[in-house]
Amino acid sequence: MHRRLLMSAAGATATALALAACNGGGDEPDANETTGATAAGDADAPAELAFWTWATNIEQVIEIWNEQNPEQQVSVDRQAQGDELITRVLTAAEAGNEPCLVHTEYQALPVLVSNGVVRDLTGDVADVRDAFPEAAWGLTSFGDQTFAVPQDIAPMMLYYREDLFQQYGLEVPSTWDDFAALAAQVRQVAPERYLTTFSSGDPGWFAGLAQQAGAEWWTNEGEAWSVGMADEATTRVAEFWGDLVAQDLIDDQPMYTPEWNAAMNDGTLLAWPSAVWGAGVLQGVAPDTAGLWRAAPMPQWSDGEDATGYWGGSATAITEGCEYPAQAAKFVKWLNTSPEALEAMITLGGLYPAASEGQTGPALEEPPVMLPNQPEFFALAAEIAGTARGFTWGPNVNVAYNAYNEAFQGAIESGGSFTDAIRSMQDATVADLETQGYEVVE
Amino acid sequence: MAGTPTAAPATVGRPPKAMPAGSRRGRTNWGATALLVLGAMYCVLPSLWVFIAATKSPGELFTTFSFWPSVTGGLQENLSELTAFGDNAFYRWALNTLLYAGVGSVLTVVVSAAAGYALAKYRFRGRELMFRLILAGVLVPQVTLAIPQYLLLAKVDLTGTYWSVLLPSLISPFSIYLCRIYATAAVPDELLESGRLDGSSEFRLFRSIGLPLMVPGLITVLLLQFVAIWNNFLLPFIMLSESEKYPLTVGLFALLNQGASQPALYTLVITGAALSILPLIALFLLLQRYWRLDLLSGGLKG
Amino acid sequence: MTDLTTTDAGTGGAHRPVGPARRRRASSGAPYLFMLPAMALFAAFLLAPIIYAGWLSLRASRRTGGGILGQRTEVFVGLDNYARSLSDPELYTALGRMAVYGLIVVPVMLGLALLFALLLDLPNVRLRTATRVGIFLPYAVPGVIASLLWGFLYLPRVSPIREAFDTVGLPPPDFFDPDTVILSVANIAVWGGVGFNMVVMFTALRAIPPELYDSARIDGASERQIALRIKIPLLTPVLVMTGIFSLIATLQVFTEPQILRPLTNVISSSWMPLQKIYTDAFVLNDIYSAAATSIALAGASLVLSLLVLSVMQRRAFGENQ
Repeated sequence: MHRRLLMSAAGATATALALAACNGGGDEPDANETTGATAAGDADAPAELAFWTWATNIEQVIEIWNEQNPEQQVSVDRQAQGDELITRVLTAAEAGNEPCLVHTEYQALPVLVSNGVVRDLTGDVADVRDAFPEAAWGLTSFGDQTFAVPQDIAPMMLYYREDLFQQYGLEVPSTWDDFAALAAQVRQVAPERYLTTFSSGDPGWFAGLAQQAGAEWWTNEGEAWSVGMADEATTRVAEFWGDLVAQDLIDDQPMYTPEWNAAMNDGTLLAWPSAVWGAGVLQGVAPDTAGLWRAAPMPQWSDGEDATGYWGGSATAITEGCEYPAQAAKFVKWLNTSPEALEAMITLGGLYPAASEGQTGPALEEPPVMLPNQPEFFALAAEIAGTARGFTWGPNVNVAYNAYNEAFQGAIESGGSFTDAIRSMQDATVADLETQGYEVVE
Repeated sequence: MAGTPTAAPATVGRPPKAMPAGSRRGRTNWGATALLVLGAMYCVLPSLWVFIAATKSPGELFTTFSFWPSVTGGLQENLSELTAFGDNAFYRWALNTLLYAGVGSVLTVVVSAAAGYALAKYRFRGRELMFRLILAGVLVPQVTLAIPQYLLLAKVDLTGTYWSVLLPSLISPFSIYLCRIYATAAVPDELLESGRLDGSSEFRLFRSIGLPLMVPGLITVLLLQFVAIWNNFLLPFIMLSESEKYPLTVGLFALLNQGASQPALYTLVITGAALSILPLIALFLLLQRYWRLDLLSGGLKG
Repeated sequence: MTDLTTTDAGTGGAHRPVGPARRRRASSGAPYLFMLPAMALFAAFLLAPIIYAGWLSLRASRRTGGGILGQRTEVFVGLDNYARSLSDPELYTALGRMAVYGLIVVPVMLGLALLFALLLDLPNVRLRTATRVGIFLPYAVPGVIASLLWGFLYLPRVSPIREAFDTVGLPPPDFFDPDTVILSVANIAVWGGVGFNMVVMFTALRAIPPELYDSARIDGASERQIALRIKIPLLTPVLVMTGIFSLIATLQVFTEPQILRPLTNVISSSWMPLQKIYTDAFVLNDIYSAAATSIALAGASLVLSLLVLSVMQRRAFGENQ
């Protein structure tokens, strides 16, 4: 497998050297011209496909494919998920060493597209479009082009400690106003506990909350972008959480730290606005609290509304440098739409599939290990998934996310205002777009 | 004493007759001993945490008192899960690490010994310039070098191979610096001169006179380099993409970052970390008598 | 003092001058051959990447093509990256922080190392081997793991240190207080480095001939006086060298704050200069700005290093060639 990669890299090296010598990127527009068309080549011809992914136990899912498709072997190169992975993919692509298949979070896709790393799959995967809910398909499409096939989606829902809610006589909040009142109530009845925490380390979480409120952080009019990180919806979300933090009604320490793990174990934190995968995370950090949690729809901004956002989720993309795009497309479709692959990913990898059929499949009849007390968990999740609204991810999500970390860290530490924090996210994102040569309107 | 190998600087494991205690017998100095014990506790207790945490099951890790080992079988559970993970991936990574650190440190010593010997024992045009260039290399952080190194290695199709991790770690300015100092201190010019009179070639002089005299210092360089490569993260992280070539550091990092939507395998990572430190500690204890760190200071003479 | 410096002219009592003629003959081609592997590796894996980074620092990835997301190309931008990087106030805040960090770490670490080395060298001390090995132990713990484990010890709700303070009724320390977090970061570096430096100093102490102390003892000098008046002055070259290496390590401080960063609100992603470079390169996918900042910082450290080298040269190799 690897030798073959090297061979293709050898070819790419010549271009890379030329690229280094003159002004660079000369070959990329050519590559781009071929996009949009259906992948040339025979989908059943022999192929070796490398797949960079971080998905849990994906090796066992791939084994199923490899047994059925001895001619088109897929090999998994396990990667660490995170910002660094994108840099790795970009660097590998620049050197001509990219794998055929890359696993990518939705918000990272635009960067891969604008760097010419991933193929336009519009024609290749049109036949599976109907297998996905419109909102999920929208996460991998820009304008009328599709660049990846959704793998898992992550509609947000609220997890709470049923036992402690009962103990203190707390009501599950149905609106954010209820949520704020509940936070205050918790501080009164159990001063050592908090309802939840606001994390400066998780921009994706905040983005999901903003989506629920109807925010649109990036919108494009033709080829011009406008940035709306300080729009009305986001401002409402920022003010809401800023007030809670300022009054010490919720905690302000980051999530995913040993301290947070301890707090999730010992009931210091009573609730967690998370996503459908949250049950799996709880299993990792607080296995002994199984049966004590329950999931509910997110609190709403107004009575009678029914919406949620996405926190995370990922897709499978095919690279421009892939020698076997037809075979790769066949695999990507199999992985994300075939009942057997979906079932394997659900049971072995614990992910929540983007494909509609997967969400009601037999693998999701049993509730997650952590919520045995809620047999209807996945039925609820499917219902919630239907109310999720995402937004278009812009070309520089990494800049916005980094600005989020910096701005909210500062705001929490110095008692600064959360609306100033989103303002500085907005400014940093706009400035970066302009520097990079994008047309920004407004 | 000069001119014989024993003139070389003292080692940690210097024979007891030279211990200061021999010069004046008396009552135990409890004050000094107590201070040293305090210092040792400051250094040892936090390291113990890793080993204690490795005995805990996922449910206990964040809920039980940190410095109380678990006896409920968490360790066996963690070990067997670690073993089972991804077809023995952990042991594969451990072997890779051993390969990178073992082969890498030995080759670094060869390269650095030759360079250090030349810098110490010959006068030649460009000597100081080369030495200064090499030393200035210490100042450029790996964070800066990693991506250019990757892009350059990609041009010769070496990325993703064992070589891509081995080769860049062979150049160690610090090792060359130590070798130069040690060659200066341990290899007397007289021996080289008399060898030359006997008609030995320069290479033979280096191999049969220079190298043997430098051995104690080279062992120190070997150890330092072994640890440096063993703990290196960024270089293999950038260079490698196939999990089967990962060293432990990169493998454990991948375990720790399976995405926000997956439970981090904390207990596996901690157990893996504990296992990866053990060989280093064993190595130090075994080889501590060979430590020649005094050569850091420019070769003191007794 | 003179007794402790070495020259390239030979060791110990080598008084026989080496004939210049013979030297020249010896240096025909052999030294270049010996240098060849090191210089080849140096050129390939340090010099070439540095030059490449310099070239990258003059370029940038810009949207040039059409399409909604655009198509990026690498273009020449001259000194733009430098201008942006060097006009960023955060860089100077980070540099200032690094200076403070160095001012804490270097003296504390070397001071402790010296104290322990001198204590180990005292007569009638018990547990010498056990304590020496114990203090050295953290050197075997990789920086990443050391930082993770200290992070665990610092975090308020899981910290056993705070628990201990609580138990004895003292107010528990806040390790992530914005004003003092730099001490918490420095502590990890001190913890990891004190043993190594102690062993360096202790080995050097062992190399001092004991006779030097005898006359002082006969004169009735206390061990403290011997340490202050004889041992420490003799250790000066060692202290200078360990100081220089610790300073270099300070310039590269990265792992500890980077690992602690996600645990708290008080450490940002550009808290130290190298973190800023890392964030540019690995989070913002802007290797070009990262290269510019690196080149600027490397240039600055080069000036510093020229000073350092002249000290090293004098200390380690004499000026008598």
